Amino acid sequence: MKISHNVVVWGAAILITVNGFFPALWILFTALKSETELAHIPITWLPQAPTLANFISAFSEQPLLRFTLNSVIVAAGSTVIAVFAGACAAYALVRLRIPGRGLVLSTLLAVSMFPLIALMVPLFQIFRSLHLLNTYMGLILPYSVLSLPVCTLVLISFFQDIPADLENAAMIDGCSRLGALWRVVVPLSTPGILTAALLAFVNSWDEFLLALTINTRLSMRTLPVGITLYQSEYADRWPVVMAALVIAIVPVSLLIALFQDRVVGGLTQGGLKG
Amino acid sequence: MALSELERSERRLGYLLLLPAVLLLATIVVYPVFDLVRTSFYQLNLTTGLLHPRFTGLANYARAFADHQLLESALATILLTVISVPSALVTGLALALLADQVKGARWFVRLALLMPWMLPLVFVGLVFHWFFDYRLGIVNDILVRMGLSALQWLSSPALAFIGISLAIIWKTSAFVAMILLAGLQSIPKYLYEAAEIDGAGTLTKFRYITLPMLRPSILVALIFRTITSIQTFDIPYAMTNGGPGNSTETLAMFVRKTSIDFLDFGYGSALATLMFIGSMLATSVYLKHVQRDAPEG
Repeated sequence: MKISHNVVVWGAAILITVNGFFPALWILFTALKSETELAHIPITWLPQAPTLANFISAFSEQPLLRFTLNSVIVAAGSTVIAVFAGACAAYALVRLRIPGRGLVLSTLLAVSMFPLIALMVPLFQIFRSLHLLNTYMGLILPYSVLSLPVCTLVLISFFQDIPADLENAAMIDGCSRLGALWRVVVPLSTPGILTAALLAFVNSWDEFLLALTINTRLSMRTLPVGITLYQSEYADRWPVVMAALVIAIVPVSLLIALFQDRVVGGLTQGGLKG
Repeated sequence: MALSELERSERRLGYLLLLPAVLLLATIVVYPVFDLVRTSFYQLNLTTGLLHPRFTGLANYARAFADHQLLESALATILLTVISVPSALVTGLALALLADQVKGARWFVRLALLMPWMLPLVFVGLVFHWFFDYRLGIVNDILVRMGLSALQWLSSPALAFIGISLAIIWKTSAFVAMILLAGLQSIPKYLYEAAEIDGAGTLTKFRYITLPMLRPSILVALIFRTITSIQTFDIPYAMTNGGPGNSTETLAMFVRKTSIDFLDFGYGSALATLMFIGSMLATSVYLKHVQRDAPEG
């Protein structure tokens, strides 16, 4: 009984590990292979003579650093806006009894399920007339809205757990409502703000459809779109594509691995695009 | 009933705090959707010139209902949804049940579960494209090593569908697994203990305790996945770009091609409006469930 249970546990652990990590491992293996080794048939699984040449090509064939910088700027900018607007809204919805509360919540939930394509078509035209195509703002603004629902929902559940008495006490001691918000609620909800920020950042970092359409100038491309460019310009450049993928994946994976509990908690609370 | 001074100032503050969110929603969602629906009643393409829309009433919608390509892309989208949503649900449930068995190394196991979720959709598409490469891909390598013949994965419609579905299932089952794992871990242990005392086996416990207790989480995951599946774009774009022919072109790909590549904004807007209506209908079903599950708000 004991042994068979152990077998099940080990089997489960191995299955999950292989399922989760194999594609990432294959990306890395491919990135480390030379062009001659790659063309070898039958294919090798482990790289026989690992080389960093593909990483050098990844940076020289396309402006990979620029793509990364663009992604960071767009993701960071939209995260700041989404968390700020989401925190304000969440606080108003939790603490201040205002009419129209249900409407705001339903709108937010509806936006989280919104078909992006229905937003992309009009935004492309509007941004064209406002000269927002090929600018950071052209992506920061829509990404802020895409992350607004999850930020608001995550922060609502955090604010609900902060006892109102703490704020009342601060207000009796002479704080204004805003003062209490700043001195009591914000410090206590740092974990919630961190969770919301992580989810918003990942949301923006991953987005493809709008980035593909709104920022078409090479110097304004974000990582997800930029990485598809290696493939279309050179036919069999898989090792270089995979090297670029490694560069694109590692920083965010580390961030998520580091703050895993926050991400999982936020995911199961807020509901998020899969 | 008159409001007290305090209540009035609270309300003012409340509206002030809601302002950033409402402004964002109004400018980036509400106005564009209004603009979308308005444009859908106009002819606005390269023939009219992009500055001179011509009002044509419901002509774009009439065209949509007679459009073969729309029908084909709708069928492709439905097929991908029908294949990938139930499969991702079953795979996600299996992963969650497996993960629930592993008590040690929780951090590592959860990281493995999160991996597919944290890879951007388009990266998943690229990696699976490479997996299914005819000459150098690992899938054909395994097939050949097993004594089978290599398959033209992404250049035959049926196999391309399977390849794309596998990529989508791998990617989306991670999200399902996270939701269901949280659901599994909230099932009270005493239910299982009581069942064991009554002599229930593993299957009986699964059938009569686990599944019914997971029902709400499964429903949420199911509806959520269905709605996002209707919007599928990134993975087929990276794997086949709609090919071979137009066989794996999804609705979102067709709408984007019409409006951005062919600059037919009037017709593209009508198509996007139809997708919007379909999606919102599905979402209203979802909202009903969410509101029923959540005691407040």
